[in-house]
Amino acid sequence: MQALIQLSIANIRSFVRDRAALFWTFAFPLIFVILFGLIFQGGSTSIKLAWVDSDSSSASAALRASFASIKEVVLTDEDLASATDQMKTGKVDAIIEIPHGYGASVAAATAAGAIPTTPATVTVVTDPTQAATGGIVQEVVAGVLGAVNQGGRPPIVSATVTTIQTQNLNIISYLVPSILGMALMQLGVFAAIPLVADREKKILKRLNATPLHRWQLVGSNVVMRLIIGIIQTLIIVAVGTALFGLQVTGSLILLGSLVVLGALAFISLGYVIASFAPTEDAANSMTSVVQFPLMFLSGTFFVIDQMPQPLQVVARFLPLTYLSDALRQVMVNGTAFSPLWFCFAVLIGWTAICFGISSRFFRWQ
Amino acid sequence: MTMIDGSTPATRPGLSATPAVRVVDVRKGYGAVRAVDGVSFDVRPGEVFGLLGPNGAGKTTTVEMLEGLRAPDSGELEVLGIDVARNPDELKQRVGVTLQTAELYPKLTVVEVLDLFRSFYKRSLPTNELIEFLDLGERKTAQTRQLSGGQRQRLAVALALVNDPEVIFLDEPTTGLDPAARRSLWDLVQKLQGQGKTILLTTHYMEEAEVLCDRLAIMDHGKILAMGTVNELVADRFKDRSVRFDEIASITDEQLTGLPGVESIKHDDGETVLYTQDVPATIGGVLALTEALGVEPGNLGIRRPTLEDLFLDLTGRALRD
Repeated sequence: MQALIQLSIANIRSFVRDRAALFWTFAFPLIFVILFGLIFQGGSTSIKLAWVDSDSSSASAALRASFASIKEVVLTDEDLASATDQMKTGKVDAIIEIPHGYGASVAAATAAGAIPTTPATVTVVTDPTQAATGGIVQEVVAGVLGAVNQGGRPPIVSATVTTIQTQNLNIISYLVPSILGMALMQLGVFAAIPLVADREKKILKRLNATPLHRWQLVGSNVVMRLIIGIIQTLIIVAVGTALFGLQVTGSLILLGSLVVLGALAFISLGYVIASFAPTEDAANSMTSVVQFPLMFLSGTFFVIDQMPQPLQVVARFLPLTYLSDALRQVMVNGTAFSPLWFCFAVLIGWTAICFGISSRFFRWQ
Repeated sequence: MTMIDGSTPATRPGLSATPAVRVVDVRKGYGAVRAVDGVSFDVRPGEVFGLLGPNGAGKTTTVEMLEGLRAPDSGELEVLGIDVARNPDELKQRVGVTLQTAELYPKLTVVEVLDLFRSFYKRSLPTNELIEFLDLGERKTAQTRQLSGGQRQRLAVALALVNDPEVIFLDEPTTGLDPAARRSLWDLVQKLQGQGKTILLTTHYMEEAEVLCDRLAIMDHGKILAMGTVNELVADRFKDRSVRFDEIASITDEQLTGLPGVESIKHDDGETVLYTQDVPATIGGVLALTEALGVEPGNLGIRRPTLEDLFLDLTGRALRD
């Protein structure tokens, strides 16, 4: 036990004294969070609305002009189907639909001596996960309709708000779990490099000449990376929360076990790399070869459903897809364990297979 | 048992003592290469035993099998009565090891690496004592990558001593060191020998083997060619003494073999060596011959045969290459 603790401390010391490792582990993911956070925050000052006019009357044209006169609003004319598509892919923030007969209703309501009837209705479609944007849209709509309604009492036009679930979570809510997943992936995969370096420098061989057991060596390595992984998680979540209003809704225990399991899955992948990399340089290249597809095809930066079909198939085989997805579900949607069992199973299975391969093929000398 | 103050009486090679290291007909091959091909030797307690031979002779493979780092294809290996193959854990508690390359945790300090290694053993010497013994006091907070070659090697020896081992394996302990660092490592080995440690070292330096080793085995191509003390080895083979001088082109071999007492001659690296049973008569003959030819025998002298001569004689090659 003493040996395991001392060796873990030795590993952590070596790690902390390696500036490059520190940068890649802590600064690199944070730069991603801050960069993306700022980019997408800045972009959200204008509101993109899809205008679906099923009436094509002068009244609807007048209403369109009222919306268009608001500086922050960008209108695009669409039919309902393409508007829904665009909303799902995040090209517009909301849909405003003018039903057939809107013009007639307005005309009836505003005709001299009209009897109060039910007002003409427009439909506003927003995304519930983008609460901030949805709120702004509703304010804009209320403002415009208020101006239209001013002449009449009772109101001439009212809005019903409906929602559709899009793939576009709030961008920070999407990115923080993704970047956390990416960070854990790198943390694990990079385990290959110092291990191969230690083998090349004969450190492993020298340790092998002491009574130290191999499980202690591997254990200390895993302990050190888990500690770093947890620190990474705390930092990334703290920055996301403090700077970009991220709210972690899910169970912290579930989140913690995902972080540990995710780190283990990728540490074991790192060991597989270390098993087949003859030199430190080879380990470096193999690590890059492995980490880039994981980074770009696992939904870290791009939503998987929007990728070309063949790549989507690839994504289904990548463990980071499942880690990031589960992290997102837990952090953002507060999903409980039971719907996530498959993600957990994939990560556990992956870890078991990788540890199996590396214990078979890893050379200590 | 205290190691550092040296107060423990050294156990000199005992006549009846069981060997500290026992190697019986050990073989190890890699593919078609027979790295170790039927090697047998004993190391007595308290002895400094050397494996001398060129690179690739099988010295390191032999030592690493004794350290439990490689498994032999066949043969018996015993250290302190422990069967290496059957009980490697117990073995590792009781021996100390330096490997040929001494790079260890470049970003940890001397004290940190020592403390780390101490945690691996049931029993260990205090860090400060080790640092003092190896004269690393000034560098104890330096990271190991900042150490000089000699300091690094002393740290490697310190790591081999943390568990106060009875048997110490030193693989090429002075390779790559400058002469001063080599000297200081020799002093260290002699100090350890004074404390009664059994030491098995490998080297390809003749001088090192001559200075340090009580007994040695000469290895080449995985086999032991000769074994014994330096004197035994050299005297066994070279009953003759030799007279040497810088080569003179105008003297023929026929003239030299005709000189009194000369048994055989050898030309080596710009010198002429005459093996003789009668040194004064041979020197007189050399002087008479050179005087007659009007030349001077440069650096004329009597030479004791060395391990180098022995190796050359055994293998037909110089050890240096």
